Amino acid sequence: MSRFAELLDRFFYRPDEDVGAFLELAPEVDTGPEVAPEEVPEEFLAFQLGDETYAVPIATVREILKVGDVTEVPRGAPNVIGLINVRGEMLPLYDVKVRLKLADAAPVVRSRADVARGARIVLIRDPEGDAGVLVDRVHGVVKLALSRLESAPNLGLERDAVAGLGRKDGNLYILIDLEQALS
Amino acid sequence: MAPPRALDEFVTEANEILESLAKDLFVLDQERGREPDPERLNAIFRAAHSLKGLSAMFGVDRVSRLAHRAEDVLDALRLGRVPLDDRLVDTLIETLDMLQALLARVSQGTHAPDLEVGADHLQERLAQLARGQADAGVDLLDQVGIDPQMRSVFTEYEEHRLRENVKKGVGLWKVRAVYSLADFDQQLAALNARLKPLGEVVSTLPSSQPGDESSIAFDLVFGSSRARGEIEAVLDGATLSPLTSRPAPTEVTPRPGPALVFDSSSSNAPRPATKWDDVSGSGVALPEPTSASGLRLSPDTSLRSLTQTVRVDIGRLDALMNSIGELLLIRSNINRLAEAARQVGTGVALPKLWGQELQREARALERKLDELQKGVLDVRMVPLGQVFDKLTRLMRRLVRESGKDVDFEVSGGDVELDKLIVEELSDPLMHLLRNSLDHGIEPPEVRRLHHKPQRGKIRLKARQQGNQVLIEVGDDGGGMDETRIRQVAVQRGLATEEQTREMSRRDLLNLVFLPGFSTRADVSELSGRGVGLDVVKTNLARLSGLIDIDSRRGDGTTFTLTLPLTLAIIRALMVGVSGRTYAVPLSSVMEIVSIRHADLRTVERREVFEVRGQTLPFVRLARVFKLAEAQRERSFVVLIGLAQQRIGLAVDELLGQEDIVTKPLGGRLRAIPGVSGATELGDRRAVLVLDVGALMEELTRPAAAAG
Repeated sequence: MSRFAELLDRFFYRPDEDVGAFLELAPEVDTGPEVAPEEVPEEFLAFQLGDETYAVPIATVREILKVGDVTEVPRGAPNVIGLINVRGEMLPLYDVKVRLKLADAAPVVRSRADVARGARIVLIRDPEGDAGVLVDRVHGVVKLALSRLESAPNLGLERDAVAGLGRKDGNLYILIDLEQALS
Repeated sequence: MAPPRALDEFVTEANEILESLAKDLFVLDQERGREPDPERLNAIFRAAHSLKGLSAMFGVDRVSRLAHRAEDVLDALRLGRVPLDDRLVDTLIETLDMLQALLARVSQGTHAPDLEVGADHLQERLAQLARGQADAGVDLLDQVGIDPQMRSVFTEYEEHRLRENVKKGVGLWKVRAVYSLADFDQQLAALNARLKPLGEVVSTLPSSQPGDESSIAFDLVFGSSRARGEIEAVLDGATLSPLTSRPAPTEVTPRPGPALVFDSSSSNAPRPATKWDDVSGSGVALPEPTSASGLRLSPDTSLRSLTQTVRVDIGRLDALMNSIGELLLIRSNINRLAEAARQVGTGVALPKLWGQELQREARALERKLDELQKGVLDVRMVPLGQVFDKLTRLMRRLVRESGKDVDFEVSGGDVELDKLIVEELSDPLMHLLRNSLDHGIEPPEVRRLHHKPQRGKIRLKARQQGNQVLIEVGDDGGGMDETRIRQVAVQRGLATEEQTREMSRRDLLNLVFLPGFSTRADVSELSGRGVGLDVVKTNLARLSGLIDIDSRRGDGTTFTLTLPLTLAIIRALMVGVSGRTYAVPLSSVMEIVSIRHADLRTVERREVFEVRGQTLPFVRLARVFKLAEAQRERSFVVLIGLAQQRIGLAVDELLGQEDIVTKPLGGRLRAIPGVSGATELGDRRAVLVLDVGALMEELTRPAAAAG
């Protein structure tokens, strides 16, 4: 909406025409915890970090790579493990465990030999520049209904990279805010 | 307005038109007073015509309207209806500058309210010129030159009143008032009331240049015999400009119209002709050379092109196509060989012939890839003339303003360089040329005193030498004063008196490139340079270029810039440090020596070593990068030099040279100090490319106790 239209709207706004208050009273509006039947669950990519299962929206994942050669970046940020070559594109590889308080220091990874067998790089699309995230294992795609997500419990820990919690089939998925996790 | 992509195309194309227009106008400018070549006039006319059509097609009215007016004038000129006089040429050049400025705004996607008035004024002048002098004076109103756009909205009565005012010989003014939507009626009434005693408000029109969303703008046509100052006193925020563009010169300030807009920028008054410079994108915005505040004040002040496009000769593309065709051929050969090998089966030795054939194909592949690489590089090459032409135009103007008598010689415009480098070069070159003009060339009296020809000379020369291009900026002025340099350097604490005495002349001259050397006003007393040269140096260092000075007292100064042909693919020295591999651009490697650690000395607790009598800092790359250091007796020392500095970078191993393509690090890693990018080697591992410039800067800074 252009700024002008906005100005006009504000100008013509009449409180008595506002229906917001009535909507809440209308019977067909579902405000309960039930999932609206038409809600399509979102797809998330679930992966293992330490003993916990994390998830990110599938739309933000560009691809999943095996760990290859990693070039160390001298004097880089502490959470940068190194630089990876993705078909000619040079992208940073991040460690998020330190940020999530799962580890005390980022691991030193220089080649496949330095990681466990299941470890993968999840390549994240990001407007600030795509980046790889080292994970211990990739579980697969999980569908979670957005309306059922819980916000992260306050555990007295500073874990602002956690965006919420999702539950499905007895598993707990911790949704990460990648923006925060990579910063 | 057109979508961004289409707009890009527009800017590219309009820019090309403007460039050819500029070239032709430049010739016209040089041949002032002579009969113009009809072909040239036609070409200029056509350029204006295409620009008009193009901008109208893309909905860029501003440009289109101005181009239209210019076309009118040129048409009249072409048909011999108006004579080609100085005023016309000047106006056309001004129009060109204005068109360039407008285009620059279009490409930035910003509006140009500040340019509008100037553009309007110019349009009006062009319109007059098109009408020619002969029929001027048919109508009194035509004679005073009121914007036809404005005139078209006057009622008969208003026109009558205007005519009456003109007859009385009263000054006609346009008062532009911008008032908030909330209370414009009261404000306007108040303004009318204040103006009334001074003259006659002929008409109040909604302005053709609207204000922003929350305000409304009016143009008041006002006739008054009072002086400008008197009227301005009652305006209270509204702006005053002459309505007529051709009244008797005594009535109006010397620079009507745009004067209001540019007052702030042209406050360094003695150069009245610079009024467009600050907005025309021609780069002269460095107000006074002594400010040395940096070459890039804003994108507006640069000579850089507006677009990232490279025009390519179709022949070069054909060559690329050919290379690719041949590569496809090699691919099918290799496929055939692979198929043959597969059919032989496992465990069976392949025939010798097969191996030979494979080797032959591999060699052919290599050759073709080289060709392809060269071809792609060729496509990126543009003649330096692109920048030289702009500099020439600028210099002519600057020379005219300086009042000095100077010949400007340009040669080597056909030398080609990577587009990227050519773009980056324009600002440093401009700065050096300006310096030559302002400080190099002496005033005529001084020159006469020294028995030099009164006409000074400034040269801009380029030539290719192997994989490098040398560009010289020289003058036959007074040269640099060593004694002064020595004094200043000592004063600023850049060197001790002792040091300066031991320095060679060349080292001494190079002191002017040090950052702290030039920042103060009294530097201009130094009969020469030292003004913002550190910025020039930094800019060049970014291009892996070197700069050198040769200056002889009394004979002049020459700056020589040495640049690599291309930045896209560079040769690099691969070095190993604590098991890691790094690439050092070969263009900044001076030499490699082997140094025994026992021979190291320390100066102020920093390690130094000696090469042929010169003491240089010894920097262990492993320490800089905080890597584990292996104990060893000897190190290879890569002597790196950029612009004027040299340091020795100690590494463990030398791994040979490679042609590398430097790729930028992903957006998130941009700020890794000392690393300019990464490249992939044969084994697909990413290898970091050292940013020699940044490393040097970091390591030679006093605070960096790296050793």
